[in-house]
Amino acid sequence: MKNNLPRFLIYTPRVTEKLTFHDEEFEKLGFKLKAEVNTIFGRSLAIRELDSGSDNAVEIEMNNLTTPYYDIERFGITFVASPRHADVLAISGAVTHNMEIAVRKTYDAMPSPKFVIAVGDDACYGGIFAGTYAVNGGADKIIPVDLKIPGNPPSPYEIIRALHGFMTVLAHNKNKQ
Amino acid sequence: MKQIFDINHIFEENKITAKNKNNAAAYISIPEEDFQNEFTAISGKDIVLIGLFCAQNFNGYIGFTLFYVLEKRNYSNIVIVTRRLREPTASSIAALFPSACWFEREISDGFGVTFPDAFDQRRLFLHEVYPAGFHPLRKEFRNQPVSTRDMIAPEDEYVFKKVDGEGIYQIPVGPVHAGIIEPGHFRFSVAGETIFNLEVRMFYKHRGIEKLAEGKTPWQAVQVAESISGDESAANAAAFCAAVENISQVEISKHAWQLRTILLEMERIYSHLGDMGGMIVDVAFPKGASPFFVLREDILRLNNNLTGSRFLKGIICPGGLTRDISPQAITELTKYLADFTPRLQAAQNLVYATSSVVDRLETTGVIKKELVNLLNITGPAARASGVPVDTRFDHPYGICSDITPQFHKRIAENGDVLDRFNVKAAEINDSVMLIKHLIAQLIAGPVMTKMEVKDGYALSLIEAPRGQNLHWVNIKDGLIDRYKVRTASFCNWQAIEHAVLGNIVPDFPLINKSLNLSYAGTDL
Repeated sequence: MKNNLPRFLIYTPRVTEKLTFHDEEFEKLGFKLKAEVNTIFGRSLAIRELDSGSDNAVEIEMNNLTTPYYDIERFGITFVASPRHADVLAISGAVTHNMEIAVRKTYDAMPSPKFVIAVGDDACYGGIFAGTYAVNGGADKIIPVDLKIPGNPPSPYEIIRALHGFMTVLAHNKNKQ
Repeated sequence: MKQIFDINHIFEENKITAKNKNNAAAYISIPEEDFQNEFTAISGKDIVLIGLFCAQNFNGYIGFTLFYVLEKRNYSNIVIVTRRLREPTASSIAALFPSACWFEREISDGFGVTFPDAFDQRRLFLHEVYPAGFHPLRKEFRNQPVSTRDMIAPEDEYVFKKVDGEGIYQIPVGPVHAGIIEPGHFRFSVAGETIFNLEVRMFYKHRGIEKLAEGKTPWQAVQVAESISGDESAANAAAFCAAVENISQVEISKHAWQLRTILLEMERIYSHLGDMGGMIVDVAFPKGASPFFVLREDILRLNNNLTGSRFLKGIICPGGLTRDISPQAITELTKYLADFTPRLQAAQNLVYATSSVVDRLETTGVIKKELVNLLNITGPAARASGVPVDTRFDHPYGICSDITPQFHKRIAENGDVLDRFNVKAAEINDSVMLIKHLIAQLIAGPVMTKMEVKDGYALSLIEAPRGQNLHWVNIKDGLIDRYKVRTASFCNWQAIEHAVLGNIVPDFPLINKSLNLSYAGTDL
C-alpha cells in the first residue's frame, strides 16, 4: 500500500497553498537566528510567556510571532505551556502586586540555566505605572532580567531583532568561557 | 407605597429634551429613605444598571457620593441617580440588580464604603497582599508605592464558593495559563467532565488606572486611557476625549470625527478577526485559523500605515487628532479593502465546511437572553443572544447618526459560540463597508480644534469591539479629579460563569475566546 504512494506524499510536508507574502529581510534575520539557536540551545529555544500586568498588546504581538506572517517555529523557537519546559521567560507588564507571587513561582519553576527577557516598556522600567501604588515598576524589581525589549508594544520585528542580538551576546559569552 | 421619584417618568421626560448626544444624562438624587423602595420598584423591568461608582468630595460635598447609571431599553438618554452618603456605608442593591455585585465590591476596595447587607462582601481588586484598611481611591491617599504583606493569615485568604456532593471535585486554573494569555484564576467545580459551577477571580492585573489619571491634564491622561486595554486603545481614547470635549463644550471638526470613526472600525475589525482565529485555534484546527490571523496582521500593518502605531495609540487626543492621516495611507486602505470581504468569506467557508469544527461551536456556551439585562451584558455577546444592543445606535456619539443608516444591528438567536462567531463575521463586513463609506464621504478640515479645558463632569459611552465602554470624567481646576472606567468586559466576565454551566471543561477555552473578555480592561 505504502509503496504505491509517491514518496513526496509520505516524507515531505504538504504545502496547501502558496503564501502571498514574503519578507526578504525578515527571512534573513530569522534564519540567522535559527543558526544561533542551533548552536547555543541545541536547535530548540523554548520561551514561556508571562503577563504580569500588561495591557495585552504585547501578548497579541507575541501570539502574532506564531502566525503565518512570521511563523517563528521555523527558526527553532517555540512558546511552551509550562515554565518547566522553558529556557527563557518572556515577561510583560510592570509586575502588579497581585501578580507578584505568581511571577516568583513561575521563575522558580524554571530549570537552570534560565534567562529572563522583559518585553515592553512596562516590563522594562514600569512605563507610565512607575512609582504608583499597584505595581513593582518593572520585572527586574522581582526577578533578574537579562534583556530588555522596550516598546509600547514592540513589534514582532523588534522582538525578533532583539532575540537575535541576545543570541549574539550569549554566543560571545560562550566563546569566552 | 407612595412613590415620590419616578425614574421611569424621568426617562420619559428627558427623552424629549435630550439631543441624542452623549451628554444626555440626567442627574437626579433620591432621599436616602426612599432609595431602596424606588430601586425595588424599577428592578426586574427594562431598566439596566450599566454602571455604579463612587466619587469623593464631589461638587463640594465632603464625603462619598455614589452614582447609579441607569439605561432604559429603547431610550437614548441615561439617568444617573446620585446618592450622598452621610457615613461610609450604604445599603446594597446587588440582590435587585445582579450587575451591582462587582460594582459594590469595587467601591468597597477603592473607597472603604461598606455594603453591610450585600450577599458578597469579599474583596475585589485588592488581593490579599494589600494590607487591611488600604483604600487607594480615597483622596487622602497620595499615589505612591505601598508596602504589601509577605505573609497572609489563613483567615485573610480568599474563599471560593464550595460545591459539595458525591463525585464533585474542584479544578483550580491560573492565574498563569498555558498559552500566551492574560492572567486570571478560574475555580471549576466539576462532576466528571461537566462543569457544575465556575467562579472567576480576576484583578491580577490591577495597575491602578483610575488613580493614575488623577491630577493629570486631559492630554496626559489620554495615555492612561490607551493603556486600559491594548486592543481597545482607540475606543477608550475616543470615549475619554469625548467626555473631556463635552465638559469643555467643544465641538470638534467633522473631519476629525470621521477619521476617529474609521480608526474605531479598524479596531473592531482586527479585534474580531483575532477572536475568530482564536476560536478556531481552541478547537485545534490551525489550518482554519491561519487565514484569520493573516487578515489580522494585514489590518495591524494598515493601522501602522495610518497612524504610526499597530494598536492605534497616540493619535486620538482631546480636540481631535494629534496629526492628520496621509491621503496615501487612505488610498492604500481603500485598495486593500476592495477584496477583503471575499477573503473573509473564504476563511469562514473553510470553517463551515468542517463538520467537526461546527460540531464544537454549535450549542456550546449558551448565554440565555434573560441574563443580558440583569448582568448588563453588551457587545457581540448580547447581540448573539438576541438582544439588540449597540451603543452606536442606542446612544449615538460623534458622527454615529451619519453611519447608522448604512447598516443594522447584527442579531442571532441561539447565544452559542457559533452565533458569536457569525455575529462577529457579519460585524467585520459591516465595519469594512462603513470605512469605505466614510472614506467616500471624507471632508477636508482641521484635525485639531483649539480648546480650553473647563471644569465639570460628563459621561461618555462608546461601542468598543467587546461591547459598551463607560467613561465618566470629573475635571477640577483643569486636572482630572476622578476618572471612572467600566469596560464591557467587566460585566461580560460575569456572564461566563453562567455560559459554561453544563459544558465540558475542554470547551471552556473556546467559550472564553468566543466572549473575548479583556483581563486588562476589567482589572484596570
